[in-house]
Amino acid sequence: MTATERVLLIPKIENGFVIDHIPAGFGLEILRVVNQHHELDNVVITLGSNCKSRKLGRKDLLKFQTSQLPPRFLQHLSLICSGVTVKRIKNFEVEAKIVLEPPEIVEGFLACPNPNCITNHERGASTSFHLLNRSPNAFHCAYCERDFSMSELEAALPKR
Amino acid sequence: MKRNLISLDNLSRNAIVDFLDLAAQFEVMPASKKEKLLSGKILGVLFFEASTRTRLSFESTMLRLGGQVIGFSEAINTSVVKGESLQDTIRTVENYCDVIVIRHPREGAARLAAEISHIPIINAGDGSNQHPTQTLLDLFTMQKLYGQIDKLKIAMVGDLKYSRTVHSLVHALVKFKDVEFLLVSPDSLRLPEYVTSALETGSFHARETTDLREAVDSCDVIYMTRIQRERFPDPLEYEKVKDSYRLDAALLKNAPPRLKILHPLPRINEISVDVDSTPHAAYFQQVACGLIMRQGILYSILGGKL
Repeated sequence: MTATERVLLIPKIENGFVIDHIPAGFGLEILRVVNQHHELDNVVITLGSNCKSRKLGRKDLLKFQTSQLPPRFLQHLSLICSGVTVKRIKNFEVEAKIVLEPPEIVEGFLACPNPNCITNHERGASTSFHLLNRSPNAFHCAYCERDFSMSELEAALPKR
Repeated sequence: MKRNLISLDNLSRNAIVDFLDLAAQFEVMPASKKEKLLSGKILGVLFFEASTRTRLSFESTMLRLGGQVIGFSEAINTSVVKGESLQDTIRTVENYCDVIVIRHPREGAARLAAEISHIPIINAGDGSNQHPTQTLLDLFTMQKLYGQIDKLKIAMVGDLKYSRTVHSLVHALVKFKDVEFLLVSPDSLRLPEYVTSALETGSFHARETTDLREAVDSCDVIYMTRIQRERFPDPLEYEKVKDSYRLDAALLKNAPPRLKILHPLPRINEISVDVDSTPHAAYFQQVACGLIMRQGILYSILGGKL
Protein backbone atom coordinates (compact mmCIF):
# COMPACT_ATOMS: atom_id res chain seq x y z
CA MET A 1 0.00 0.00 0.00
CA THR A 2 1.39 3.40 -0.95
CA ALA A 3 1.47 6.44 1.29
CA THR A 4 -1.24 8.07 -0.89
CA GLU A 5 -3.56 5.07 -0.46
CA ARG A 6 -3.07 5.19 3.33
CA VAL A 7 -4.00 8.88 3.30
CA LEU A 8 -7.18 8.03 1.40
CA LEU A 9 -8.13 5.33 3.93
CA ILE A 10 -7.65 7.57 6.97
CA PRO A 11 -7.53 11.16 5.74
CA LYS A 12 -5.02 13.54 7.23
CA ILE A 13 -6.52 16.38 9.25
CA GLU A 14 -5.41 19.97 8.85
CA ASN A 15 -5.93 20.95 12.49
CA GLY A 16 -7.00 18.94 15.52
CA PHE A 17 -5.86 15.94 17.55
CA VAL A 18 -4.90 12.34 16.85
CA ILE A 19 -5.12 9.70 19.54
CA ASP A 20 -2.64 7.13 18.39
CA HIS A 21 -1.25 3.78 19.55
CA ILE A 22 -4.64 2.58 20.78
CA PRO A 23 -4.51 -1.22 21.16
CA ALA A 24 -6.38 -2.78 18.19
CA GLY A 25 -10.07 -3.16 19.00
CA PHE A 26 -10.05 -0.58 21.81
CA GLY A 27 -10.95 2.37 19.54
CA LEU A 28 -14.67 1.63 19.88
CA GLU A 29 -14.28 1.66 23.69
CA ILE A 30 -12.77 5.15 23.42
CA LEU A 31 -15.65 6.26 21.19
CA ARG A 32 -17.96 5.13 24.00
CA VAL A 33 -16.01 7.40 26.37
CA VAL A 34 -16.22 10.24 23.82
CA ASN A 35 -19.99 9.82 23.93
CA GLN A 36 -19.94 10.60 27.69
CA HIS A 37 -18.34 14.04 27.16
CA HIS A 38 -20.94 16.34 25.65
CA GLU A 39 -18.31 18.98 24.74
CA LEU A 40 -17.36 16.60 21.90
CA ASP A 41 -20.90 16.17 20.57
CA ASN A 42 -20.33 18.28 17.43
CA VAL A 43 -16.75 17.27 16.71
CA VAL A 44 -16.01 15.33 13.49
CA ILE A 45 -14.19 12.14 14.50
CA THR A 46 -12.57 9.51 12.26
CA LEU A 47 -11.82 6.02 13.57
CA GLY A 48 -9.07 3.97 12.04
CA SER A 49 -9.40 0.36 13.11
CA ASN A 50 -6.83 -2.44 12.93
CA CYS A 51 -4.19 -0.31 11.18
CA LYS A 52 -0.64 -1.59 10.73
CA SER A 53 1.72 -0.36 13.43
CA ARG A 54 5.47 -0.84 13.81
CA LYS A 55 5.11 -0.51 17.59
CA LEU A 56 1.98 -2.59 18.25
CA GLY A 57 1.60 -4.78 15.14
CA ARG A 58 -2.02 -3.63 14.81
CA LYS A 59 -3.57 -0.52 16.32
CA ASP A 60 -6.61 1.75 16.31
CA LEU A 61 -6.43 5.53 16.00
CA LEU A 62 -8.90 8.39 16.33
CA LYS A 63 -8.76 11.81 14.67
CA PHE A 64 -10.64 14.76 16.15
CA GLN A 65 -11.25 17.88 14.08
CA THR A 66 -11.42 20.33 16.98
CA SER A 67 -9.29 23.11 18.42
CA GLN A 68 -9.16 21.53 21.90
CA LEU A 69 -9.85 18.33 23.81
CA PRO A 70 -11.63 18.82 27.17
CA PRO A 71 -9.28 18.15 30.16
CA ARG A 72 -11.87 15.85 31.78
CA PHE A 73 -11.96 13.74 28.62
CA LEU A 74 -8.16 13.43 28.66
CA GLN A 75 -8.26 12.51 32.36
CA HIS A 76 -10.90 9.88 31.62
CA LEU A 77 -8.79 8.53 28.76
CA SER A 78 -5.64 8.40 30.91
CA LEU A 79 -7.54 6.22 33.39
CA ILE A 80 -8.98 3.67 30.99
CA CYS A 81 -6.32 3.59 28.30
CA SER A 82 -2.94 4.69 29.67
CA GLY A 83 -0.09 4.60 27.18
CA VAL A 84 -1.93 6.03 24.18
CA THR A 85 -0.32 9.00 22.41
CA VAL A 86 -2.17 12.28 21.96
CA LYS A 87 -0.81 14.39 19.07
CA ARG A 88 -1.80 17.99 18.38
CA ILE A 89 -1.96 18.67 14.62
CA LYS A 90 -1.45 22.09 13.05
CA ASN A 91 -1.34 22.62 9.28
CA PHE A 92 -1.22 18.83 8.72
CA GLU A 93 1.91 18.50 10.92
CA VAL A 94 2.39 17.10 14.42
CA GLU A 95 2.95 20.17 16.57
CA ALA A 96 3.16 18.41 19.97
CA LYS A 97 2.57 14.98 21.44
CA ILE A 98 2.21 13.42 24.87
CA VAL A 99 1.84 9.86 26.13
CA LEU A 100 -1.03 9.58 28.61
CA GLU A 101 -0.04 8.16 32.01
CA PRO A 102 -2.50 7.25 34.78
CA PRO A 103 -2.64 10.04 37.41
CA GLU A 104 -1.23 9.28 40.89
CA ILE A 105 -4.25 10.94 42.50
CA VAL A 106 -7.74 11.32 41.04
CA GLU A 107 -9.79 13.93 42.87
CA GLY A 108 -13.51 14.34 42.33
CA PHE A 109 -13.76 12.51 38.99
CA LEU A 110 -14.51 8.89 39.92
CA ALA A 111 -17.41 7.61 42.01
CA CYS A 112 -16.68 4.99 44.66
CA PRO A 113 -18.21 1.60 43.77
CA ASN A 114 -18.61 0.74 47.48
CA PRO A 115 -22.29 1.55 48.23
CA ASN A 116 -21.47 2.12 51.92
CA CYS A 117 -18.65 4.60 51.27
CA ILE A 118 -19.42 7.98 52.86
CA THR A 119 -18.76 9.70 49.52
CA ASN A 120 -21.94 8.07 48.15
CA HIS A 121 -24.10 9.46 50.97
CA GLU A 122 -22.82 12.88 51.95
CA ARG A 123 -24.00 15.91 49.99
CA GLY A 124 -21.08 17.70 48.40
CA ALA A 125 -18.48 15.12 49.42
CA SER A 126 -15.79 14.71 46.80
CA THR A 127 -13.97 11.45 46.05
CA SER A 128 -10.24 10.82 46.16
CA PHE A 129 -8.43 7.81 44.72
CA HIS A 130 -4.72 6.93 44.79
CA LEU A 131 -3.07 4.90 42.07
CA LEU A 132 -2.13 1.42 43.32
CA ASN A 133 -1.09 -0.44 40.16
CA ARG A 134 -0.40 0.40 36.53
CA SER A 135 -1.42 -1.79 33.58
CA PRO A 136 -3.95 -2.83 34.58
CA ASN A 137 -4.73 0.34 36.52
CA ALA A 138 -6.11 -0.05 40.05
CA PHE A 139 -6.98 2.64 42.59
CA HIS A 140 -7.44 2.93 46.38
CA CYS A 141 -10.34 4.96 47.80
CA ALA A 142 -8.95 7.40 50.39
CA TYR A 143 -12.22 7.26 52.35
CA CYS A 144 -13.46 3.65 52.60
CA GLU A 145 -9.88 2.40 52.01
CA ARG A 146 -10.91 -0.25 49.48
CA ASP A 147 -9.05 -1.08 46.30
CA PHE A 148 -10.76 -1.18 42.90
CA SER A 149 -9.78 -2.22 39.41
CA MET A 150 -10.36 0.35 36.69
CA SER A 151 -13.20 -1.76 35.27
CA GLU A 152 -15.06 -1.58 38.62
CA LEU A 153 -14.52 2.18 38.74
CA GLU A 154 -15.55 2.60 35.11
CA ALA A 155 -18.82 0.78 35.83
CA ALA A 156 -19.55 3.22 38.69
CA LEU A 157 -18.93 6.35 36.62
CA PRO A 158 -22.10 8.40 36.16
CA LYS A 159 -23.51 7.93 32.67
CA ARG A 160 -24.92 10.75 30.55
CA MET B 1 -0.66 20.77 63.74
CA LYS B 2 -3.74 18.85 64.83
CA ARG B 3 -3.41 15.08 65.10
CA ASN B 4 -6.10 12.61 64.12
CA LEU B 5 -6.42 8.87 64.60
CA ILE B 6 -8.35 7.57 61.60
CA SER B 7 -6.80 4.37 60.28
CA LEU B 8 -4.01 1.92 60.98
CA ASP B 9 -3.02 2.31 57.35
CA ASN B 10 -1.50 5.71 58.10
CA LEU B 11 0.23 4.62 61.31
CA SER B 12 3.84 3.43 61.12
CA ARG B 13 5.17 0.69 63.37
CA ASN B 14 7.06 3.37 65.32
CA ALA B 15 3.89 5.39 65.86
CA ILE B 16 2.11 2.23 67.10
CA VAL B 17 5.00 1.44 69.46
CA ASP B 18 4.85 5.03 70.79
CA PHE B 19 1.17 4.51 71.66
CA LEU B 20 2.00 1.17 73.36
CA ASP B 21 4.80 2.83 75.39
CA LEU B 22 2.52 5.69 76.39
CA ALA B 23 -0.17 3.24 77.54
CA ALA B 24 2.44 1.38 79.61
CA GLN B 25 3.30 4.68 81.33
CA PHE B 26 -0.37 5.42 82.01
CA GLU B 27 -0.81 1.94 83.47
CA VAL B 28 1.60 2.61 86.32
CA MET B 29 0.75 6.28 86.82
CA PRO B 30 -1.04 7.04 90.12
CA ALA B 31 -4.63 8.28 89.75
CA SER B 32 -3.70 11.47 91.63
CA LYS B 33 -1.23 12.38 88.87
CA LYS B 34 -3.72 11.63 86.08
CA GLU B 35 -6.69 13.51 87.44
CA LYS B 36 -5.74 16.96 86.12
CA LEU B 37 -3.89 16.04 82.92
CA LEU B 38 -6.79 17.07 80.65
CA SER B 39 -8.41 19.56 82.98
CA GLY B 40 -10.34 22.23 81.03
CA LYS B 41 -10.61 20.03 77.91
CA ILE B 42 -13.94 18.82 76.50
CA LEU B 43 -14.46 15.58 74.57
CA GLY B 44 -17.26 15.49 71.98
CA VAL B 45 -18.65 11.97 71.59
CA LEU B 46 -20.55 11.56 68.32
CA PHE B 47 -21.88 8.02 68.14
CA PHE B 48 -24.15 7.52 65.13
CA GLU B 49 -24.12 3.77 65.91
CA ALA B 50 -24.71 1.84 69.12
CA SER B 51 -21.81 1.04 71.44
CA THR B 52 -21.22 0.18 75.08
CA ARG B 53 -17.51 -0.27 75.65
CA THR B 54 -15.97 2.14 73.20
CA ARG B 55 -18.18 5.08 74.12
CA LEU B 56 -18.18 4.51 77.86
CA SER B 57 -14.44 3.85 77.98
CA PHE B 58 -13.73 7.10 76.13
CA GLU B 59 -16.06 8.98 78.46
CA SER B 60 -14.56 7.34 81.52
CA THR B 61 -11.06 8.08 80.26
CA MET B 62 -11.82 11.76 79.77
CA LEU B 63 -13.36 12.04 83.23
CA ARG B 64 -10.44 10.22 84.87
CA LEU B 65 -8.02 12.61 83.21
CA GLY B 66 -9.91 15.63 84.54
CA GLY B 67 -11.73 16.59 81.34
CA GLN B 68 -15.43 16.81 80.53
CA VAL B 69 -17.69 15.07 78.03
CA ILE B 70 -20.57 16.10 75.77
CA GLY B 71 -22.21 14.20 72.92
CA PHE B 72 -24.82 11.69 71.83
CA SER B 73 -24.99 7.92 71.67
CA GLU B 74 -27.47 7.52 68.84
CA ALA B 75 -28.34 9.77 65.93
CA ILE B 76 -32.10 9.52 66.52
CA ASN B 77 -32.31 12.53 68.87
CA THR B 78 -30.10 14.80 66.77
CA SER B 79 -30.42 17.04 63.72
CA VAL B 80 -29.14 14.12 61.64
CA VAL B 81 -32.71 12.76 61.46
CA LYS B 82 -33.74 16.16 60.03
CA GLY B 83 -31.27 15.53 57.21
CA GLU B 84 -28.23 17.41 58.51
CA SER B 85 -25.04 16.37 56.76
CA LEU B 86 -22.08 14.93 58.66
CA GLN B 87 -19.99 17.88 57.54
CA ASP B 88 -22.44 20.39 59.04
CA THR B 89 -22.62 18.38 62.26
CA ILE B 90 -18.82 18.46 62.55
CA ARG B 91 -18.60 22.18 61.74
CA THR B 92 -21.09 22.80 64.55
CA VAL B 93 -19.79 20.45 67.22
CA GLU B 94 -16.14 21.48 66.79
CA ASN B 95 -17.10 24.78 68.40
CA TYR B 96 -18.23 23.00 71.54
CA CYS B 97 -15.23 20.80 72.32
CA ASP B 98 -11.47 20.18 71.93
CA VAL B 99 -11.49 16.68 70.44
CA ILE B 100 -14.14 14.52 68.76
CA VAL B 101 -14.57 10.76 68.93
CA ILE B 102 -16.83 9.56 66.13
CA ARG B 103 -18.51 6.26 65.29
CA HIS B 104 -20.48 6.13 62.06
CA PRO B 105 -22.08 3.36 59.96
CA ARG B 106 -20.53 4.61 56.69
CA GLU B 107 -16.97 3.74 55.70
CA GLY B 108 -14.74 6.81 55.42
CA ALA B 109 -16.93 8.99 57.69
CA ALA B 110 -14.12 9.65 60.17
CA ARG B 111 -11.71 10.66 57.41
CA LEU B 112 -14.27 13.06 55.95
CA ALA B 113 -14.84 14.49 59.44
CA ALA B 114 -11.07 14.95 59.92
CA GLU B 115 -10.82 16.90 56.67
CA ILE B 116 -13.56 19.30 57.77
CA SER B 117 -12.68 19.68 61.42
CA HIS B 118 -10.25 22.13 62.98
CA ILE B 119 -9.94 19.96 66.09
CA PRO B 120 -8.59 16.38 66.33
CA ILE B 121 -10.82 13.48 65.24
CA ILE B 122 -10.56 9.96 66.62
CA ASN B 123 -12.22 7.17 64.63
CA ALA B 124 -14.20 4.85 66.90
CA GLY B 125 -15.39 2.73 63.96
CA ASP B 126 -16.50 3.60 60.42
CA GLY B 127 -18.81 0.95 58.90
CA SER B 128 -16.83 -2.23 58.30
CA ASN B 129 -13.63 -0.30 57.62
CA GLN B 130 -11.45 0.57 60.63
CA HIS B 131 -11.50 0.73 64.41
CA PRO B 132 -8.01 1.94 65.28
CA THR B 133 -8.42 2.48 69.04
CA GLN B 134 -9.70 -1.10 69.41
CA THR B 135 -6.64 -2.27 67.49
CA LEU B 136 -4.24 -0.32 69.67
CA LEU B 137 -5.83 -1.78 72.80
CA ASP B 138 -5.70 -5.28 71.27
CA LEU B 139 -1.99 -4.80 70.59
CA PHE B 140 -1.43 -3.43 74.09
CA THR B 141 -3.16 -6.52 75.53
CA MET B 142 -0.93 -8.85 73.45
CA GLN B 143 2.17 -6.88 74.45
CA LYS B 144 1.21 -7.25 78.13
CA LEU B 145 0.44 -10.96 77.80
CA TYR B 146 3.53 -11.98 75.82
CA GLY B 147 6.01 -9.12 76.21
CA GLN B 148 6.16 -8.72 72.43
CA ILE B 149 4.05 -8.81 69.28
CA ASP B 150 6.69 -10.00 66.81
CA LYS B 151 6.53 -13.74 66.09
CA LEU B 152 3.08 -14.29 67.65
CA LYS B 153 0.78 -16.91 66.12
CA ILE B 154 -2.68 -15.37 65.98
CA ALA B 155 -5.91 -17.01 64.90
CA MET B 156 -8.68 -14.67 63.72
CA VAL B 157 -11.98 -16.50 64.11
CA GLY B 158 -15.54 -15.90 62.90
CA ASP B 159 -16.69 -12.96 60.83
CA LEU B 160 -13.57 -11.91 58.98
CA LYS B 161 -15.60 -10.31 56.19
CA TYR B 162 -17.47 -7.55 58.01
CA SER B 163 -15.48 -7.21 61.26
CA ARG B 164 -13.71 -3.84 61.26
CA THR B 165 -11.74 -4.85 64.36
CA VAL B 166 -10.24 -7.71 62.35
CA HIS B 167 -9.53 -5.48 59.35
CA SER B 168 -7.78 -2.88 61.52
CA LEU B 169 -5.84 -5.51 63.45
CA VAL B 170 -4.58 -7.15 60.27
CA HIS B 171 -3.38 -3.77 58.96
CA ALA B 172 -1.47 -3.24 62.22
CA LEU B 173 -0.02 -6.73 62.72
CA VAL B 174 1.57 -6.85 59.26
CA LYS B 175 3.81 -4.00 60.46
CA PHE B 176 5.38 -6.35 63.05
CA LYS B 177 7.92 -9.08 62.34
CA ASP B 178 7.12 -12.72 61.55
CA VAL B 179 3.53 -12.67 62.78
CA GLU B 180 1.66 -15.83 61.76
CA PHE B 181 -2.05 -15.64 60.96
CA LEU B 182 -4.52 -18.49 60.96
CA LEU B 183 -7.75 -17.22 59.40
CA VAL B 184 -10.68 -19.30 60.63
CA SER B 185 -14.07 -18.52 59.09
CA PRO B 186 -17.01 -19.98 57.20
CA ASP B 187 -16.47 -19.72 53.46
CA SER B 188 -18.96 -16.85 53.11
CA LEU B 189 -17.21 -14.76 55.79
CA ARG B 190 -13.59 -15.03 54.62
CA LEU B 191 -11.27 -12.05 54.91
CA PRO B 192 -12.06 -9.83 51.88
CA GLU B 193 -9.54 -9.35 49.11
CA TYR B 194 -9.20 -5.64 49.88
CA VAL B 195 -7.84 -6.62 53.32
CA THR B 196 -5.74 -9.58 52.19
CA SER B 197 -3.94 -7.21 49.82
CA ALA B 198 -2.49 -5.65 53.01
CA LEU B 199 -1.03 -9.07 53.75
CA GLU B 200 1.10 -8.84 50.65
CA THR B 201 3.44 -6.48 52.48
CA GLY B 202 5.61 -7.26 55.48
CA SER B 203 7.11 -10.47 56.85
CA PHE B 204 4.34 -12.77 58.08
CA HIS B 205 2.62 -16.01 57.18
CA ALA B 206 -1.12 -16.42 56.62
CA ARG B 207 -3.25 -19.50 56.12
CA GLU B 208 -6.99 -20.08 55.92
CA THR B 209 -8.95 -22.90 57.53
CA THR B 210 -12.48 -23.65 58.66
CA ASP B 211 -11.33 -25.71 61.67
CA LEU B 212 -11.30 -23.96 65.07
CA ARG B 213 -9.58 -26.98 66.68
CA GLU B 214 -6.45 -26.22 64.66
CA ALA B 215 -6.32 -22.73 66.20
CA VAL B 216 -6.66 -24.11 69.73
CA ASP B 217 -3.79 -26.53 69.18
CA SER B 218 -1.33 -24.27 67.41
CA CYS B 219 -1.79 -20.57 68.22
CA ASP B 220 -0.72 -18.12 70.96
CA VAL B 221 -3.82 -15.95 70.59
CA ILE B 222 -7.33 -16.74 69.43
CA TYR B 223 -9.08 -13.52 68.45
CA MET B 224 -12.78 -14.39 68.43
CA THR B 225 -15.36 -12.16 66.76
CA ARG B 226 -19.12 -11.94 66.87
CA ILE B 227 -21.04 -12.73 63.70
CA GLN B 228 -22.65 -9.29 63.33
CA ARG B 229 -26.33 -9.56 62.43
CA GLU B 230 -26.49 -5.80 61.66
CA ARG B 231 -23.92 -6.06 58.83
CA PHE B 232 -25.77 -8.76 56.83
CA PRO B 233 -27.81 -7.47 53.90
CA ASP B 234 -29.73 -10.78 53.86
CA PRO B 235 -31.09 -12.15 57.20
CA LEU B 236 -31.15 -15.70 55.76
CA GLU B 237 -27.41 -15.54 55.17
CA TYR B 238 -26.97 -14.52 58.82
CA GLU B 239 -29.05 -17.50 60.01
CA LYS B 240 -26.83 -19.87 58.02
CA VAL B 241 -23.59 -18.80 59.69
CA LYS B 242 -24.56 -17.23 63.03
CA ASP B 243 -23.38 -20.13 65.20
CA SER B 244 -20.48 -21.30 63.04
CA TYR B 245 -17.90 -21.23 65.82
CA ARG B 246 -18.38 -21.79 69.51
CA LEU B 247 -15.48 -21.89 71.89
CA ASP B 248 -16.13 -23.69 75.19
CA ALA B 249 -14.13 -25.05 78.09
CA ALA B 250 -14.29 -28.60 76.68
CA LEU B 251 -12.61 -27.50 73.46
CA LEU B 252 -9.90 -25.79 75.51
CA LYS B 253 -9.33 -28.77 77.80
CA ASN B 254 -5.96 -29.76 76.33
CA ALA B 255 -5.00 -26.35 74.99
CA PRO B 256 -1.43 -25.20 75.64
CA PRO B 257 -1.26 -22.96 78.78
CA ARG B 258 0.18 -20.15 76.67
CA LEU B 259 -3.04 -19.82 74.64
CA LYS B 260 -5.09 -16.69 75.39
CA ILE B 261 -8.54 -15.82 74.07
CA LEU B 262 -9.31 -12.24 73.06
CA HIS B 263 -12.61 -10.81 71.86
CA PRO B 264 -13.55 -7.17 71.09
CA LEU B 265 -16.95 -7.87 72.77
CA PRO B 266 -19.91 -7.95 72.94
CA ARG B 267 -20.03 -11.74 72.68
CA ILE B 268 -23.16 -13.69 71.96
CA ASN B 269 -22.71 -17.46 71.62
CA GLU B 270 -19.20 -17.65 70.22
CA ILE B 271 -17.51 -17.90 73.63
CA SER B 272 -19.32 -20.00 76.20
CA VAL B 273 -19.44 -18.51 79.72
CA ASP B 274 -17.61 -21.59 81.03
CA VAL B 275 -14.48 -20.26 79.30
CA ASP B 276 -14.48 -17.20 81.61
CA SER B 277 -13.05 -19.17 84.52
CA THR B 278 -10.26 -20.81 82.50
CA PRO B 279 -6.74 -19.32 82.48
CA HIS B 280 -7.15 -18.78 78.74
CA ALA B 281 -9.81 -16.06 79.02
CA ALA B 282 -8.22 -12.64 78.52
CA TYR B 283 -11.14 -10.65 77.10
CA PHE B 284 -12.02 -8.83 80.30
CA GLN B 285 -8.36 -8.00 80.82
CA GLN B 286 -8.58 -6.63 77.27
CA VAL B 287 -11.42 -4.30 78.40
CA ALA B 288 -9.21 -2.99 81.21
CA CYS B 289 -6.38 -2.46 78.71
CA GLY B 290 -8.82 -0.45 76.60
CA LEU B 291 -9.25 2.15 79.30
CA ILE B 292 -5.49 2.52 79.73
CA MET B 293 -4.79 2.68 76.00
CA ARG B 294 -7.52 5.28 75.47
CA GLN B 295 -5.98 7.41 78.23
CA GLY B 296 -2.77 7.38 76.20
CA ILE B 297 -4.59 8.09 72.94
CA LEU B 298 -6.64 11.04 74.23
CA TYR B 299 -3.67 12.56 76.02
CA SER B 300 -1.39 12.18 73.00
CA ILE B 301 -3.94 13.40 70.42
CA LEU B 302 -4.50 16.52 72.54
CA GLY B 303 -0.80 17.23 72.36
CA GLY B 304 0.26 16.01 75.80
CA LYS B 305 3.77 14.71 76.47
CA LEU B 306 4.80 12.76 79.55
